[in-house]
Amino acid sequence: MKGSVIKYERDNIDTDVILPGPYLKIHDYAELATHAMEGLDKDFHKRVKPGDFIVAGKNFGCGSSREHAPIALSYSGIKAVLALSFARIFYRNAVDGAFLLPIEIDEDAYKDISDSDSLEVDISKNEIQNLTKNKIYKIKPFPELIGKIIEAGGLFNYKP
Amino acid sequence: MSKTLFEKIWDSHIVVQEDGRSLLYVDRHLVHEVTSPQAFEGLRLNGRQVRRTDLTFATMDHNVPTSDRSLPILDQTSSMQIKTLEKNCKEFGITLFDINSPNQGIVHVIGSELGITLPGTTIVCGDSHTSTHGAFGALAFGIGTSDVEHVLATQCIMMEKPKTFEIKIQGKRKNPHAVTAKDIILSIIRKIGTAGGTGTVIEYRGEAISDLTMEQRMTICNMSIEAGARAGLIAPDEKTFQYLKGRKYSPENYDECVDDWRENLKTDSGAKFDKSFTLGAENIAPQVSWGTNPAMTTDVTGNVPFPDEYGKGNPEEQKGAQKALQYMALTPGMAITDIAIDRVFIGSCTNSRLEDLMEAAKVVKGKKVSAKVRAMVVPGSQLVKKNAEQLGLDKIFKDAGFEWRESGCSMCLGMNPDILSAGERCASTSNRNFEGRQGTGGRTHLVSPVMAAAAAIHGHFVDVRELDLN
Repeated sequence: MKGSVIKYERDNIDTDVILPGPYLKIHDYAELATHAMEGLDKDFHKRVKPGDFIVAGKNFGCGSSREHAPIALSYSGIKAVLALSFARIFYRNAVDGAFLLPIEIDEDAYKDISDSDSLEVDISKNEIQNLTKNKIYKIKPFPELIGKIIEAGGLFNYKP
Repeated sequence: MSKTLFEKIWDSHIVVQEDGRSLLYVDRHLVHEVTSPQAFEGLRLNGRQVRRTDLTFATMDHNVPTSDRSLPILDQTSSMQIKTLEKNCKEFGITLFDINSPNQGIVHVIGSELGITLPGTTIVCGDSHTSTHGAFGALAFGIGTSDVEHVLATQCIMMEKPKTFEIKIQGKRKNPHAVTAKDIILSIIRKIGTAGGTGTVIEYRGEAISDLTMEQRMTICNMSIEAGARAGLIAPDEKTFQYLKGRKYSPENYDECVDDWRENLKTDSGAKFDKSFTLGAENIAPQVSWGTNPAMTTDVTGNVPFPDEYGKGNPEEQKGAQKALQYMALTPGMAITDIAIDRVFIGSCTNSRLEDLMEAAKVVKGKKVSAKVRAMVVPGSQLVKKNAEQLGLDKIFKDAGFEWRESGCSMCLGMNPDILSAGERCASTSNRNFEGRQGTGGRTHLVSPVMAAAAAIHGHFVDVRELDLN
């Protein structure tokens, strides 16, 4: 996966800013996408391109169990969120529906990656290549169950 | 081998366990209108049925208006979501407590009220505050819509086994009417942080927890998710068994069940937790959140922090505090009691039960809401509302100038007509002070029901320990 970075230097980016409550009534995923990140960044929708990555701090996706949050990001074109850590319900929601990859990065990578950097993410090697800065970062491997759900392409394709 | 309460419930629900994953049987599945439509649609597309309609219960709470129920719902998308749940429950044969049902209410209020929530069971719901039910010694997880569909179809959930986290609250609260369960849980989150419980199931223990009533214990477990935990648990005791006796769905062989629960549902002495945290109850003061996550909280006698003194020198936390204060329009160093408020919301799955309303009413009785404040009370369920009205609480609140409304999630989450306007500041008994949570640009201060009631009267926060609440 190749794409460029939209970076938010923030911890605790919660599901209420990823997809604010009033839009939970929307069932059309493309329309949901137009409101992604609206609580934090009104220009996100204009800026995001298919294949982009979000880079953020600790506890990304904390709060509500709304699957609308990863769906809105996914239908905006976001392929992966690279964060220091994730809240667990968001983490599961992201992979259950194969909406996007929640990838845990370390402090060095978080500090080093800048907004608009081009990255190539290779989960088979647990590696991120920063094409702008010509650097390589390790990513934290997925837990066994999560890795298997991702490999299968979502919870409903996963056959234990 | 010695086991924790969590391990006992977990082990007794395993269908298959291998390679770091467990297929867990689900005893109760609660469903609401917001996180279920796509799940039912998925069943329909794949020609699947609901596996255990007898273990699945639905209600509508998130986007129902809390005004006059005889009037039509004006918001077309809300109305559609509510009708969709009605249609889905009918088609799949699920019990629904609809908008006109005497049992309608917030899903985490009606669960125990109806005896659907039982000790030792596993409970899931497409809602993060499902952790509430842990107050009864149930293992209760919030899940997303894909998992909702999976549970509807299979009555099982696939999970990795969480770690265990013991949180011990020792000693006694000094003034239990003024220092409430809400203040205990906010103090915990303030100390361990919003990710302090990530990947764990918390068991709350200690004298100050045993001292709590069942409704107070629900307030504690409710906010486990605000510390990032997968679930929160409290071992059931005689108060638990008494509370659930004779409820609508309580088992017929109740006394036998109690014997079993009393015998088995406790952490063995010598059982080991993966993590532990202890806090003394004596020094807990009434809490007020000043920021944009529940850990950004301080004592009512405290001050709004200076960002460079916040977060033990961690620059990320300091930046977070700075952004939070900007959003909240607060000046560092100002006294919490100097924060003037525009709105008061007493309600939500955290604090909308009968005892919450009784405690708040003690503060309000014979007084008037400040002329600058609009205040509302939203009982958590129709049953809470009815019981409160029998005690005359509605009259106390209405005489003081509060709005007395119909049950639902209301102003906790800004997806029904009850919202803050941009810039409005609210003393709220809900669980999240995230940016825009109660309405775009709205500013939320999380407090207990007594603190919210006192703020409504005075127009700003006051230390409720100085009021006569006995």
